[in-house]
Amino acid sequence: MAYSDKVIDHYNNPRNVGQLDKASSEVGTGLVGAPECGDVMRLQIRVNPETQVIEEAKFKTFGCGSAIASSSLATEWVKGRTVDEALKIQNTDIVKELSLPPVKIHCSVLAEDAIRAAIGDWKKKNGVAEGAEVAQPTAR
Amino acid sequence: MQTAEHQSVSTACWSCGAPLAGARAFCDACGKVQPPSPDADYFTVFGLPRRLAIDTAALERVFYRLSRKLHPDVYARASANEQQWSLDQTSLLNDAWRTLKNPVSRTEYLLRVEGVQVESERAEDGKAKESRVPADLLEEVFELNMQLEEMRMNRKMGDDDPALRADLEKAKTQFEAQLAAVDADLQSLWSAWDAALDNHAPAAETKPVKDSMVALLDRRRYLRNLVRDVNDALGN
Repeated sequence: MAYSDKVIDHYNNPRNVGQLDKASSEVGTGLVGAPECGDVMRLQIRVNPETQVIEEAKFKTFGCGSAIASSSLATEWVKGRTVDEALKIQNTDIVKELSLPPVKIHCSVLAEDAIRAAIGDWKKKNGVAEGAEVAQPTAR
Repeated sequence: MQTAEHQSVSTACWSCGAPLAGARAFCDACGKVQPPSPDADYFTVFGLPRRLAIDTAALERVFYRLSRKLHPDVYARASANEQQWSLDQTSLLNDAWRTLKNPVSRTEYLLRVEGVQVESERAEDGKAKESRVPADLLEEVFELNMQLEEMRMNRKMGDDDPALRADLEKAKTQFEAQLAAVDADLQSLWSAWDAALDNHAPAAETKPVKDSMVALLDRRRYLRNLVRDVNDALGN
């Protein structure tokens, strides 16, 4: 099974590779892994505390081309969204965008898990209950 | 608890009509080769219950004995059906031998026939959410991968940083020790599983054993990859 052009593009030119300051209260870090292939993926977001908008996202993935492409795409998609909007990203959206074959679907699941883990970490740091809607900034 | 003994088949030998027991390759009464039973699994092929402690030397002897008995050359003058069945049974036997002779693939296979869902199957429906891998292992795996990457890059530049190499050697020793510990833990779970099977323990008792085996196999896969990657990076 050949990789799709989009996977190859993300693999050759991964977007947003890197690291954010883990200690910052504005940064959420998600570290997830796929035991069956031994992949590990770290996805980090920096959230604007005023607007709840994800302004920056970085990833570092050790794994196959599909895992790298899935996490690269995930960082592109979460940027500019609010935390609640980003939680709506489904692994199936990633599968469609990258035309992943069935044997690589777990890579997209991993990317979705990474987004959720990063947001979960950010919520924990900022005292937002897990699963609770983020309070929308009210007009003053 | 379903064991091999309870899965007796009610079919009869195509040749002599004697009832066939236990999904075996040959009729007990007339010795004719049979088509593979739909109830056959890699354990029944060898006439074994689903125990995990297997004497591989004894298994190998049974494998060779059955291989000779099933060999297609023996059936050169037999009917077209028997020729086909001897081929089918031989290929089933080969798969069974390859899977059962290695304790890790044997455990993975047992979990599969016992209906334990593995991660890749859960992922198909897009609902797999809980990472089964403990966070501290992921941290370790990630850090080590970072070191490996640095080492590979240094190599490309023509450097060989002795401090980094020493770190990797240390990591290698550490991960090999962890791998050995996992194997020891697996071994005690095999005993627990076999004891439960021998006692016809209820599912409530075998489930935690199966769950622990799944978790250990996950951990083992990571550790094995790490040991391999460290060895690659060290040029061993």
